[in-house]
Amino acid sequence: MMNVRQMLRTAPILLGLLAVHQAYAEPVLTVYTHPSFAAEWGPGPAIKEAFEERCNCQLRFTVLDSGGAILQRLRLEGAGTSADLVLGLDTSTMETARATGLLAQHELSLPELSLPVDWQDPVFVPYDWGYFAFVYDTEQIDNPPESLEALVNAPDDLKIIIQDPRTSTPGLGLLLWMKHVFGDQADERWQQLQGKILTTTQSWSDGYFSLFMNGEAPMILSYSTSPAYHMAVDKTDRYQAAPFEEGHYLQVEVAAVVNSSDQKALARAFLDFMLTPNFQRHIPLKNVMYPAIDLGDELPDVFDRLIEPSRALMFPPEALRDHRQDWVNEWLDAMTR
Amino acid sequence: MHAATHNSPPLAHRNWQLAPGLVFSGLILLLTGGGLLALFLRADSDLAALWQSAYLQGVIRFTVWQATLSVLGSLLIAIPVARALVRHPSFPGRSGLLRLMEMSLVMPSIVAVSGLVAVYGRNGWLAELLQWAGAELPWNLYGLTGILLAHIFFNAPLAARIMVQTLERVPANQRRVASQLGLGSWQLWRVLDWPALRPVLPGLAALVFSLCFTSFAIVVTLGGGPGATTIEVAIYQALRFEFDFNRAALLACVQLLICGGLWWLVFRQNRHQAMLPDQSLSVGAHARRPDSTGWRRSADQALIGLFALFLALPVLAIAWRGIPWLAGELVDSELALWGATLRSLAIALPAGMLAVVLTLALLAATNALKPGLPRSLASVSGYLPLIVPPIVLGTGLFLLIQPRLGIQDYGLAVVALINSLMALPFTLQVLRGPFQANSGSTLRIADQLDIRGWYRWRWLQWPRLKRPVTLALGYGTTLSLGDFGVIALFGSPAQPTLPMLLHQQLGSYQIAPATGTACWLLGLITAIFVLLSRLGRTPGTSGVNHA
Amino acid sequence: MLEINDLLFRYPAQAAGSKGWRFNLNVQEGECVALSGPSGCGKSTLLNLIAGFLTPSGGAIRWQGQSLSALPPWRRPVTTVFQEQNLFDHLTVAENMGLGLHPGLRLSQQQWSRIDTMLDAVSLGDFGKRRADNLSGGQRQRVAVARALLRPQPILLLDEPMTGLDDDNRHTLQALLLRARDQGKTLVLVSHDVRDREVLANREVTDFYHPW
Repeated sequence: MMNVRQMLRTAPILLGLLAVHQAYAEPVLTVYTHPSFAAEWGPGPAIKEAFEERCNCQLRFTVLDSGGAILQRLRLEGAGTSADLVLGLDTSTMETARATGLLAQHELSLPELSLPVDWQDPVFVPYDWGYFAFVYDTEQIDNPPESLEALVNAPDDLKIIIQDPRTSTPGLGLLLWMKHVFGDQADERWQQLQGKILTTTQSWSDGYFSLFMNGEAPMILSYSTSPAYHMAVDKTDRYQAAPFEEGHYLQVEVAAVVNSSDQKALARAFLDFMLTPNFQRHIPLKNVMYPAIDLGDELPDVFDRLIEPSRALMFPPEALRDHRQDWVNEWLDAMTR
Repeated sequence: MHAATHNSPPLAHRNWQLAPGLVFSGLILLLTGGGLLALFLRADSDLAALWQSAYLQGVIRFTVWQATLSVLGSLLIAIPVARALVRHPSFPGRSGLLRLMEMSLVMPSIVAVSGLVAVYGRNGWLAELLQWAGAELPWNLYGLTGILLAHIFFNAPLAARIMVQTLERVPANQRRVASQLGLGSWQLWRVLDWPALRPVLPGLAALVFSLCFTSFAIVVTLGGGPGATTIEVAIYQALRFEFDFNRAALLACVQLLICGGLWWLVFRQNRHQAMLPDQSLSVGAHARRPDSTGWRRSADQALIGLFALFLALPVLAIAWRGIPWLAGELVDSELALWGATLRSLAIALPAGMLAVVLTLALLAATNALKPGLPRSLASVSGYLPLIVPPIVLGTGLFLLIQPRLGIQDYGLAVVALINSLMALPFTLQVLRGPFQANSGSTLRIADQLDIRGWYRWRWLQWPRLKRPVTLALGYGTTLSLGDFGVIALFGSPAQPTLPMLLHQQLGSYQIAPATGTACWLLGLITAIFVLLSRLGRTPGTSGVNHA
Repeated sequence: MLEINDLLFRYPAQAAGSKGWRFNLNVQEGECVALSGPSGCGKSTLLNLIAGFLTPSGGAIRWQGQSLSALPPWRRPVTTVFQEQNLFDHLTVAENMGLGLHPGLRLSQQQWSRIDTMLDAVSLGDFGKRRADNLSGGQRQRVAVARALLRPQPILLLDEPMTGLDDDNRHTLQALLLRARDQGKTLVLVSHDVRDREVLANREVTDFYHPW
């Protein structure tokens, strides 16, 4: 049995060994991300492999349950965070994240992006994007509404499932979409829509899995890219997105370097890698979103069969930062009145 | 002086009974209080304005309203079911039904909701059946109906199970006398059943109320819209999307006041006897009751049958959809399911055991204390985790221990710890009764014979606790097994636990594998329950070998 | 000698003006004393005070000149047999007996055979491995008394030990207790049945209690 004094004497040796070990070990890049990216079926595993091949480092994902949770964790940890990079914030959480002052500029000259909007941001680098859209079951609906206006005015026996803007990204997307299209009349339109809303789920998965796939409603708020997965992987054309005349609201997913990281160079190398085909080719079918650069022939064929919105709608991120809370409250008011 | 023939029993000092429980209860109070305080200290919003907002008032009103209705619904269904089950002490499948009733509580809500929708939804089995018969589903599942249906699904079986146990405690002789007097069903209710049930009802109602009050996923999914927002949802929203710690803390306090107040009332009246089944009294011969013959018999059978269907159908629906995928894929040893199962068990088993240990320590301390404030605090502390949302506990804990501790490494241990705290209210209910089973003169005799400390535990308590402990372990383990909230809060390396795997699959359009995972999770929970209840039923020799 | 001098007791929860007692009693070693008096006169209360289950407000209990007042129940030279609930239902008869010899049941082979002998003496030789809750009321009381006799403690406190038993069981127990008395145990008996008192008691005491 070692006594305390002996233990104390050996401690420095052990610490020394540990330090040596650390110095020779590969650097570790810790990435905070959300489950659909890091999951076995997500792009995470393949990207980890591809990046580790060239970086002489280890890529470690810490999985938090949503983009909101990533931001939350960052705020809680402040400068003491162990994250070197955050991946999975989006255009609706961007400004709040920027305001924390915890993120560093990317300092990269971005390659030519393939986004529906012009992208000039010193901090956030986009890695994929998509449109919010209503996905419908072709076996239950022949002629889906052709515009948001038509959906709002449709008879109440058309049932839709939406998500709660307070707890879900697509839910917030619809809120912004309605606001963008109807402006000050949005709350009246929400009231008109209310009769058609079968239910509002907490998360996209709850609605998609528990309800939509159970045939509870013929239409659900999702992404315009959702059918690509069903067509390419499930080999079925049954689920399609309904194109709306007013255009579709855009979501861009982004990554950024954490200011307090001691691996900033490595983090920037990752952002650089992020906009190469080696990363981007995993996006279309594994994240089921549009890649952020032009993949050319590598873009799966099913993506040619997706709807092509006439306009990409998006509020400037600052507007979102300033008004989001008011808009959500307005929505609450309209829906509970 | 008369010389003692032996030394003092090991661990006989009173402090051995008091200290662990008091320390634990203090830690729980500290964690909860500290968690709330940590949130308040991050203050940056106007609490007064929030307090006055119509939104908050609406949320509180709705939360109380749906919880009250759920309590009424659950109890009103549970009472006739329990009476019918007591009137028929033996029929094939009875013990299976009782096990199912114990289990309903721990079903992960996303799995249960999916099963409920598959049966009672607009395109569910019931709707199909009705359509075939030329009728329409008489309700719209989404809204208060759905919330009530789900809450009754979760809580009525639990309530009925507890009532069965309570009614079976009515001494056989009283039943015999009643049957000699030829009392009818109504009179039996007045003379025997109601007086037996009345003492457990307040505690039972408080338990169901708290469970429904803090309900989250069910309320959002089946509630239909933001009109159906519970305080728990508002807390989640405040923490996750508004980053408004203050508001979250205030809402948590409101929840604490309402539910905590209710428990305080229940405790003050001392009406918190053993409420969860201890599995020891579920079979046995009972006097034939005059109200269990003729048409009443058929009515009882119909009622029990319907109730069994109500419970079993959603489970079958999950199995129906999940088993084909599982059968096809289970042979694959690389399957993510295996790893996730192991990781889940690695968290859930320690969590379950910790919950049992904490419970025993708390009970020992409350038993050793005289009535008074410390005792009340020790009693109430076990129920705090039911009232304080795990997300608040988790975030508070995070704020408390995070600075520089490197949460990553402690993550899973913290998850197991919070999971075990979450199970406390249930394990407490299971173990309280059996823990106090030795009473009156027996305890005096035990004192006189110096059966104290370790010896009392070994000979007088453990033999009676073996079975309930396995059930408590079942609750603790399976509650942790199904937990998604806490583990998601603390984040994890890329390897998921089972519920995380399920959510990842759902988030990645992996619908078929997700049904498989849901089914697997449910199967695992069932297996743990069955296994542990088998374990508890092995005939107990007390372990002495003598010629 | 067992001496009770001006032992004061009042149940705490009762309303003001409620009953309290002052007890006085002397019992010689090897003697059996029967307490008699109307119901509620404090017979069982006195036994519980002697055993240490209740705490007196004043006065003294002495055994062989030494005060017992400061001793917890497990250090007192007494063994109690109540009217019922003397046994631990979930344990076997032998285990119930053994717990009287060692609270952790660490018994020598010799002690186990003493238990068997004692069980034979109360005609329960085959019952050692039965669970206590499988016994009839009379059998249970026989086990309880047998256990009390196994113990080395010199004083037996008997609180209605034979109430509700049939004549056979009553006679067996009476014989056992008589034998114990003759072997030098000191007995304090509370029994409402005059036959028990006549058979067992050397004397009957009626003036052991006073209102307080």
